[in-house]
Amino acid sequence: MLTLGWIWGLLFAPQDAVQGNSYRIIFLHVPSVIFAELIYFFMAICALMHLVWRVKLAAYLIKAAAPIGAMITFLGLLSGSIWGIPTWGTWWQWDARITSTLILFIMYLGILTLHGSFSNKEKADRLMSILVVIGVINIPIIKKSVDWWSTLHQPASITVSGGSSIDPSMLYPLLISIIGLGFTLISLGILSSRSYIFTREKNKKWIQDSV
Amino acid sequence: MFDLAFNNFNEILDMDGHGIYVWSVYTIGISMILLSFLVAKHRIHDIKKKIKTKNASS
Repeated sequence: MLTLGWIWGLLFAPQDAVQGNSYRIIFLHVPSVIFAELIYFFMAICALMHLVWRVKLAAYLIKAAAPIGAMITFLGLLSGSIWGIPTWGTWWQWDARITSTLILFIMYLGILTLHGSFSNKEKADRLMSILVVIGVINIPIIKKSVDWWSTLHQPASITVSGGSSIDPSMLYPLLISIIGLGFTLISLGILSSRSYIFTREKNKKWIQDSV
Repeated sequence: MFDLAFNNFNEILDMDGHGIYVWSVYTIGISMILLSFLVAKHRIHDIKKKIKTKNASS
């Protein structure tokens, strides 16, 4: 599905009247930044489950999702930077949207570093969950940054309420790319969770029996 | 909506001078996603091997 969205967007969607063909980066950039935020939101829900109900699996899911979140946030920042060269004439600008997304990337790295720095994994799970909950404040800031501050980054072209300022010939491949990347990241998340559960529970009988 | 936006392969590669930006983004993106899958699969394979070795020795 992701391949279909990207082929449609790269080869069949019409050229943009203002940005020319450089806008085709949108089919990778927008899905990446959407999932960069959604993965963090998912981690925050897991963190609350871990802190309130002591669900061990929730902490494992955070640990499995964090590297995927970091990877996709990096991809969103990188694609945005490369897109900025022909569009804005600069690859980086310290504006609110870009800076808050960079903070999200640093949060992901911080979570991974914090968890890796403790040998007591139960304590690491708890501290990681606290950090994830604190960091969730950044998500509405990223979302609203283009409305709250005057930024170089354009406002949202698609909204949850269904409004869109994009022509259907560009919107459909974009929506397919978003759904496709979602399925791709879910598959990656399942693989990553499986690997982490095996690592943490390797001494348990049910894991030894299942191998 | 389903007409090819380019006339030939060179136009697809060049994209009016924007090809370098567009194709480098997709090349990096696809490589990172594929690499993530490979790393995850390799880790599962590794940990399964360790568990099997441990099971066999005990």
